[in-house]
Amino acid sequence: MSTYHSASTTGLLLGLALSVSGLTACSKSETPAVDTAATATPAPAPAAPAAPAITDAQIAHIAVTANAIDSAAGVVAKKKATAKSVKDFAQTMISDHMGVNKQAVALATKLGVTPEDNDVSRQLKSGADESAATLSGLTGAAFDKAYIDREVAYHQAVADALDKTLIPNAQNAELKGLLEKARPAFAAHLERAKDIQAKLSK
Amino acid sequence: MRNVAFDPPSLTVAAGDTVVWTNADFLPHTATARDAAWDSKSIEANGVWRLVAATPGTHEYYCVFHPNMKGTIVVR
Repeated sequence: MSTYHSASTTGLLLGLALSVSGLTACSKSETPAVDTAATATPAPAPAAPAAPAITDAQIAHIAVTANAIDSAAGVVAKKKATAKSVKDFAQTMISDHMGVNKQAVALATKLGVTPEDNDVSRQLKSGADESAATLSGLTGAAFDKAYIDREVAYHQAVADALDKTLIPNAQNAELKGLLEKARPAFAAHLERAKDIQAKLSK
Repeated sequence: MRNVAFDPPSLTVAAGDTVVWTNADFLPHTATARDAAWDSKSIEANGVWRLVAATPGTHEYYCVFHPNMKGTIVVR
C-alpha cells in the first residue's frame, strides 16, 4: 500500500470519469451515439451482446486501489497540512479507508477472489502518481487548499463510480453489500471536505 | 451507529438513564455534544460508549469524523 502516492485532482478525476464512461458505453451498446459531425453516416450495425462491463475481481481491485490511494494521501497530508481541520480530515481518511480496505481484503480472501488489475485501477494509480509531484511542491495554505480540492473531486468521482459502475455491476451479494456499506462513508467524506473547502476559501 | 448514521437519530430518555451507543459500522465514530458538554472520543468498530443523561433538555450531538452524522438526545 505504501507504494501509492497522493493523487492530483485533475488526473484522478479525468482518469476515473473516462474509464467509467467507457464502461458505461460498453454495457449500454444500444444507446444511440449522437454525433452532429456525422449525421449522414448510416447507423452502425448492432453490436454483439455486451459482455459483463466489469468483473467482481476487477471491482475488488478498484475498491482496494481507491482506498489505498486515499489513505496514502492522508498520511502525506497529516504531516504537511497546516490547518487543524485539514489535519483532522486527513486522519479520518487514513483510518476510514484503511477500515474499508481491511473489510475488502478479508472479503476477497473469504470468497477466494484475486483482485485483478484493470484500466480503472491503472488510471487511478497513474492519476495518483502524477499528483504526488503537484502536492509535494506545495506547502502551507497552498498545500491545504490543493489537498482538500483534490479530496472533494476524488470523493465525488468515487461516489459516482460506486453508483454508476461498481455497485450495479457487482455480482456477488457480499461484495455488493460491502460497496453499499462503504457508500455513505464516501458521502460523509465528501460533505466534510466541501465544508472545509468552503472555510479555507474565506 | 450504522451506515454512517445514528440510529435512531433522536432518542428521549429520563434524567439519570444511561444511553448506550454501539458502533455497528466498520469505521470509527464519535458521539460529541454540540455544546462540548460530553464527547465519546473515537468509538471503534463494534465498540460501545455509555453516557449517563444527567441534564434535562435537548442535546444535539454529531460525529467529529463524519459531521453529517447528527443526533439528538432529549432528557426529560
